[in-house]
Amino acid sequence: MHVVRIPGPLRSYTHGAAQVRARGDTLDEVLAELERAYPGMRFRMIDEQQRIRPHIRIFINASETAALDAALGAGDEVHLICALSGG
Amino acid sequence: MLSDEARERYSRHLLLPEIGVAGQEKIGAARVLVIGAGGLGAPASLYLAAAGIGTLGLIDHDHIDRSNLQRQVLFDTAAIGLGKADTARTRLLALNPGISVEAHSVELRAANALELIGPYDLVIDGSDRLATRYLVNDVCVLLRKPLVSAAIHRFEGQAMSYLPGRGPCYRCLFPKSEDGVVPNCAEAGVLGVLPGILGALQAAEALKIIVGIGTPLLGRLLTFDALAMSWHEFSFARRADCAVCGDHPSIKSPEDSVAAGLDNSSSAIGRLAPAQLQTFLQRAAIDGAAVTLVDVREPHEYAASHLQGAINVPLAQLPRRLADLPLHCNTVFICRSGGRSWAAAQLAASAGRGSLAHLEGGMLAWAAELDPAMVVAPLA
Repeated sequence: MHVVRIPGPLRSYTHGAAQVRARGDTLDEVLAELERAYPGMRFRMIDEQQRIRPHIRIFINASETAALDAALGAGDEVHLICALSGG
Repeated sequence: MLSDEARERYSRHLLLPEIGVAGQEKIGAARVLVIGAGGLGAPASLYLAAAGIGTLGLIDHDHIDRSNLQRQVLFDTAAIGLGKADTARTRLLALNPGISVEAHSVELRAANALELIGPYDLVIDGSDRLATRYLVNDVCVLLRKPLVSAAIHRFEGQAMSYLPGRGPCYRCLFPKSEDGVVPNCAEAGVLGVLPGILGALQAAEALKIIVGIGTPLLGRLLTFDALAMSWHEFSFARRADCAVCGDHPSIKSPEDSVAAGLDNSSSAIGRLAPAQLQTFLQRAAIDGAAVTLVDVREPHEYAASHLQGAINVPLAQLPRRLADLPLHCNTVFICRSGGRSWAAAQLAASAGRGSLAHLEGGMLAWAAELDPAMVVAPLA
């Protein structure tokens, strides 16, 4: 079970929750579980070509990853980061 | 040489061995440009002025609105309606008459960006549009200027720094985005003190870079969540394929980006055919973009049928209600056949509210092309 931190602009999917929990041995499995729990959320982050959208970055713990098949170890946290525009 | 007055004013800096007289003289010789005298720019410029930055530039073409005062602590109630850059200059010089403040009451665009940013040593980005953020980043990379960037949303903030030749830029972090994809403060709201925290952080980062102390936010994205009261730090690397700082950059001069689907120039009114509007709305829904649909027909026409999410402001009421409407980059006016919506968009544009479009052919065209079951009410 991984802690997944949700950026503000995507919290409408998680009913306002800033962090949720999801299972998976890879990033893709975690995103798939998020999609099952919060339909439509994955497409906001991943495009039709299975690439992370350019205004979204995904970090496993403190390190960025562009690979959906990135392996997750026990206790790894997934941070979804969205570009913010406000000033 | 610091004057006696300066030694007294900056005595708490002089006591810090990391700054001292030499560091304070670097601060006094520095030229810093703050882009956006808003939530971030206000605290950043106040602290930089207080710290004795020799020349502080401020770019903002906006006027002070009552709704700004909840977070833009440069301004007081009596200043509502006045220009931000000039008002900020007066305030900052009152705080510290020993510095120079250059007010630029212009909109930063590709056409003027090199000229505006060129004379400064370091840039603070406190703008509230992604298009400006990318322009500022690109120009800082092209001119090799250090950039301290921050952004806010509701209860969240982000900050990072770019130092030429030493690490990744903003485009390495987020290669591309568009206004409308990500909501801004005017659309999503913001905790008033949040930009205070991030703007002060930008000032601290700028002072460190100028003096040459500490560890900058280089290749590190710092995020803040005021609800959880937590900070996180993430590492990111320079991208070899970055469009501006990569090995084979495609951006070699400043570029204005075009906002999501609509013409972004204030002089032009975008025309959307029904199918274009439908695609635009679907894309906005997927991307979570904020779209304001303003139906300018009479209430009985609106009551008969209207597009989902459209608000009703009859054309006759538009002039006095314009100031209250959330007219951002994605605003589409709608009427029965396209005449009133065109007039409404022109009215909004002439009042200085840019980036507007209207539904060409109106609801009649929408019903004919996309929704034959829709009943479009007659005029009277």
